[in-house]
Amino acid sequence: MAVDKEELKKKILEYATKKAKFKSKMYIKDLYKADPNAKPREVKNAANELVKENKLEYFSSGSTTMYGVPGFGNPEQE
Amino acid sequence: MADLKKHDTPMVDELKKGPWSSFADDLQTRGDSGSQACLDLLGQLELSYKDKETHWKHGGIVGVFGYGGGVIGRYSDQPDKFPAIAAFHTLRINQPASKFYSTKFLRKLCDMWDHRGSGVFNFHGSTGDTVMIGTTTEQLEPIFFDLTHQFDMDLGGSGSNLRTPSCCIGRARCEFSCLDTQAICYDLTMTYQDELHRPAFPYKYKFKISGCPNDCVAAIARSCCAIIGTWRDEIRIDQKAVQAYVNGELKPNAGAFSDRDWGPFDIQKEVIDLCPSKCMYWDGKELKIDNRECTRCMHCINVMPEALRPGLDVGATILSGAKAPILEGAQMSTLIIPFMRMEYPYDEIKELTDLIWDWWMEEGRNRERLGELIQRKGLPTYLRIIKRKPIPQMVKEPRSNPYVFWKEEEVPGGWTRSLEEFRKKHLA
Repeated sequence: MAVDKEELKKKILEYATKKAKFKSKMYIKDLYKADPNAKPREVKNAANELVKENKLEYFSSGSTTMYGVPGFGNPEQE
Repeated sequence: MADLKKHDTPMVDELKKGPWSSFADDLQTRGDSGSQACLDLLGQLELSYKDKETHWKHGGIVGVFGYGGGVIGRYSDQPDKFPAIAAFHTLRINQPASKFYSTKFLRKLCDMWDHRGSGVFNFHGSTGDTVMIGTTTEQLEPIFFDLTHQFDMDLGGSGSNLRTPSCCIGRARCEFSCLDTQAICYDLTMTYQDELHRPAFPYKYKFKISGCPNDCVAAIARSCCAIIGTWRDEIRIDQKAVQAYVNGELKPNAGAFSDRDWGPFDIQKEVIDLCPSKCMYWDGKELKIDNRECTRCMHCINVMPEALRPGLDVGATILSGAKAPILEGAQMSTLIIPFMRMEYPYDEIKELTDLIWDWWMEEGRNRERLGELIQRKGLPTYLRIIKRKPIPQMVKEPRSNPYVFWKEEEVPGGWTRSLEEFRKKHLA
């Protein structure tokens, strides 16, 4: 069953913020854990919307993309 | 012109001495004409040669609004020594299919890049993109605006995204092509825009489309999904042209090896004996091919292009899972579907892609490519996921495990047993 997108975004943001205190960058698969009932594609779409809303941010090495919460991690590269 | 700061670069200068043109020469020329960034690039490279380690900080939080790919953050870890390249980001631009440009377009693109970036391009990166090397964070959005509004170009793929689909020159210029590679490449690019621009996967995913088994984009060696043109009828033979090759009237390989004298063309030695499946026969007058045994190696067609041509019943062979050597070594892709008709709107390849992606997104580990997931889970599992049956060509080696593992649906009645029925015959 499809999960509510706003609810999912809230869960992802809560999960990411909690985790960011220990690990500033997360893989998309880490974000799946925010709501185990959500499908990978739903998590991906919700996470991408959060980036558009400036609540999450991408970190890309060029080969891999990770997600971060603005304000956490190394500000030197922002 | 502002004062330029040149760096002492004896080791980099060595690169300029060889017989081939060098990027060091090009950067020096551009640096001498006023680009401090190019001089700083050479200076940092010299320092890297000296220290035997890179001075680029890899990656960063840079991009354009709404996109999660296409921009690769690059920062110097020696910004005080090389201030002009303190931030020197790379942009991957989705190349036109088969990389056709007009000179007017390129001039305009160069003018824009001179204005907004370093003026240094890479035509093209390994993935196929037009690569713009070196700009600052502030210029990213203006460049993106110019590209999309003035050039009808878009950013390509980078990071854990679908990478920019890439194709060979196809029917635009190649008589061997069994596919309209450009149309397929364009359609896949447009269909999967979201996956291209926003990270969706555990790692990169690549489509590469080659028009014939010569595989000029090396799809079989690099892509998660290789679409390679093939035919399923017979190789077309012009017996008169075969005779002309034998008589020396036509140059083998279209003259590609005519830089030295290899002696007269010997069809037996140079074509028949080199056929990997020995499916060809030459009786001195007529060339015969047992097409059922042909493995599509293309050797005979490449040697005698005027005499032999691919058949007319054309489509694509689909292969999965090539990758570079990060885990378990490099891997060529595995043949999955020997023949798939490739006609617009390409529904069959898209249905297959959906099955693959759903499985990989669910099961793939972080930074695990499709080929590695197939290695880890096994080809039989992969075939079950994509709803295909195994074929003999997929058998890598004779079985060494004597057990047969049945699935429940393969056993009449399944696994479920009634305990009551059992107890009627067996006391507890």
